[in-house]
Amino acid sequence: MLNWLESRTGFVSMAKEFLTEDVPGGASYWYVFGSATLFAMILQITTGIFLTFFYAPSAATAWESTRAIYLNPWTHTLLSIHYWGSSAMIALVFLHMLQVLIWGAYKSPRELQWIVGVLLFLVTLVLGLTGYLLPWDMDAYFASQVSLNIAGLPPGGEILQLIAQGGPVMGTNTINRFFGLHVWLMPAALVLLVGAHLAIFRHNGSAGPVVDDPRKLKPGRFWPDQMFMDGAASFFVFVVILLLASFAPPFLDQKADPTNAAFQPYPAWYFLFLFGLLNFVPWLFSQIPGLSSQANAPWVEMLAAIVVPTIGLLIVLLLPWLDRSTTRSFASRGKILWSTFLTIVAIIGLSIYAQVGIQAKEAAGPPSQSEDQILSATPPPETTAASGGASDASAAGAKVFAQNCTSCHGTNGQGQPGVAPPLAGNPFVTGDPKAVINVVENGLHGQTVMGQTFGAPMPAWKGTLSKSDLAAVITYIRGSLGSNKASAVKVSDIK
Amino acid sequence: MSIDFPGSTSEEGGRTILGNWASGLAPKSTFPGECTLSKQVAAAGSPQGAERKIHSAYDDPGTPEEISRRSFMANATLAIGGIVGLGLVIPIVGSLLPEGASSKGTWSPLTADELKSLQEATSKPVKLEFQLKSKDSYLPEQSNGEYVWGIKTNKQTFDSARTDLPTSGELPFSDGTYDVINMNFVILSPICPHLGCRPVWNDSATRFQCPCHGSQFAFSGEHVAGPAPRGMDPLPLREQSGLAQIMWIRYESGVPNRVIISYQS
Repeated sequence: MLNWLESRTGFVSMAKEFLTEDVPGGASYWYVFGSATLFAMILQITTGIFLTFFYAPSAATAWESTRAIYLNPWTHTLLSIHYWGSSAMIALVFLHMLQVLIWGAYKSPRELQWIVGVLLFLVTLVLGLTGYLLPWDMDAYFASQVSLNIAGLPPGGEILQLIAQGGPVMGTNTINRFFGLHVWLMPAALVLLVGAHLAIFRHNGSAGPVVDDPRKLKPGRFWPDQMFMDGAASFFVFVVILLLASFAPPFLDQKADPTNAAFQPYPAWYFLFLFGLLNFVPWLFSQIPGLSSQANAPWVEMLAAIVVPTIGLLIVLLLPWLDRSTTRSFASRGKILWSTFLTIVAIIGLSIYAQVGIQAKEAAGPPSQSEDQILSATPPPETTAASGGASDASAAGAKVFAQNCTSCHGTNGQGQPGVAPPLAGNPFVTGDPKAVINVVENGLHGQTVMGQTFGAPMPAWKGTLSKSDLAAVITYIRGSLGSNKASAVKVSDIK
Repeated sequence: MSIDFPGSTSEEGGRTILGNWASGLAPKSTFPGECTLSKQVAAAGSPQGAERKIHSAYDDPGTPEEISRRSFMANATLAIGGIVGLGLVIPIVGSLLPEGASSKGTWSPLTADELKSLQEATSKPVKLEFQLKSKDSYLPEQSNGEYVWGIKTNKQTFDSARTDLPTSGELPFSDGTYDVINMNFVILSPICPHLGCRPVWNDSATRFQCPCHGSQFAFSGEHVAGPAPRGMDPLPLREQSGLAQIMWIRYESGVPNRVIISYQS
């Protein structure tokens, strides 16, 4: 069979040629990061391809199809693997770069391999950024809003922002464009760049460990010695991703609601350091006498959001030329190694700074915006999928609520000033169930609720909704809206 | 794992492709290792450049212990690939299993005008338009325009024409069974039982003619020509508090028997 294939295609000897590679100094677990990154990429492409079988990119369907993905356990599994796979891929690219950096493996003749690698890192980040928007939930909307507006900051950035958005504001065009970037353009760029990265790698051979005379290194084999280690590391990555996907699946928030001004967007962890920088630089200026008046000036924001990250990127890109030492020895590269160490400390520090800031804002914000409440206020299908919480009755109630009540009382029962009172956090709703049933069945108008009057009359739902629907929706508003945790109402309670 | 490879240039005249190679038994001359190494030496700035030959890792078959270790590593690597592949194939295949169709039909009312045109029908089928509520996966429930054919007939005429239908005149559906003839009317699905196109009524030929593959059906929906495996499919009709209601059913196409596949359009 293999002979038949070989005599007609040469594929077998091609595969052998590809796998036959000397590894200077022998196979090592130190070399697994590149292969593990490649594995994460293949995992992302595989799960991503099949997620496109279920996802529909438009403002009318992005969130709805994502919700359907959450509701089916199989597609939810694929999505959870894809979600954690993206984190794994970014972490592995970073570790791979770090190792190359520490070993000085970017030095001549491997400068272009380093540059292609940095481009791969950028493409991976763009993939993370564009994928973040696609579920079109609250966080997707507002986090992307922030990143698109940052893209619009520098001179000429406005055009870039308009092109990325597909219009003056975010909408269905933005979803479509981000989808095209996420599933076609960026993956295609990724695969081509990986091809170039590997071709250059094979041309120059493996850099090997840092020794005085690389020619004295005893060579080891790529196949099967190094491949086995690569496979073992990839398998470890796969198991970790599966565990995270099982025990910490991603969370789908409510559908994007641009009017929800109190929403606190949260960047993906790998962008936290940029978020931290954006907050840290103005704070730094405010602490310096003479510059404190400039702390909130546009140029300071530009400095933090655009200039510093761009300079950082240029330094990383030009590293093979900035590192003037003629050897790869650690002793001769003290400055580079210390700078690397300090940069990583800064990245971790800024990430922690950002995380602490976000948590402080969340704690200080309105209670309905805390993490717990976002989880419990989520419409039913996601709650059952993401937190395994809501009962069947509550899920049915959420559906009745979404169809009949949200136009006045809001998607989370937050109410509308002057129109209809809030139901979340409303003591009447969580109080005597008989009184709540009475209002829902017979309607209400002109009463003062929570010290305010509201213009829209509460219709009488008796006769319009069945008894089981009434029981379900009252159970839902009493037990699932906001922080409401009052008792359920049975069908037999409805007169 | 051991497969002969006749195309080899090896002096031995034949060798294994994966087995021996994986475990390190392959002879020296069959590997491009030397070439790779020369490049590396050149890259490392060796004064001798490409002329200098260095021992490749693949030149040395290794000790029996190393050989058996390599054999294990090769198999383990392939096994890891298999396990990861399986771990992905299971959720992918599971996710592709189709959604179950709704097993309950819904009655759609005919407007007074449509009912009147049915009652006034003569020897021509009447096209009855109505709104069909349908739920397509995660999309919100929608009402779409749909149509069926209504004919005015009587039991004797219809039964003698439609020998493909049960003699009892009843067909099974989600609510039990329905009478094909009700109030002297028969409702016919507009879907061709051949491959799902829509036959159109031709007045001069007094036939339903399918534009796709030429199946023809007479007034009662009986199959008279073309590739269709059965006559046109009757649909349930009922009277409910003065209103006529019909139920939409999709039957499997291309088979002689009526198999309900969906109650959606």
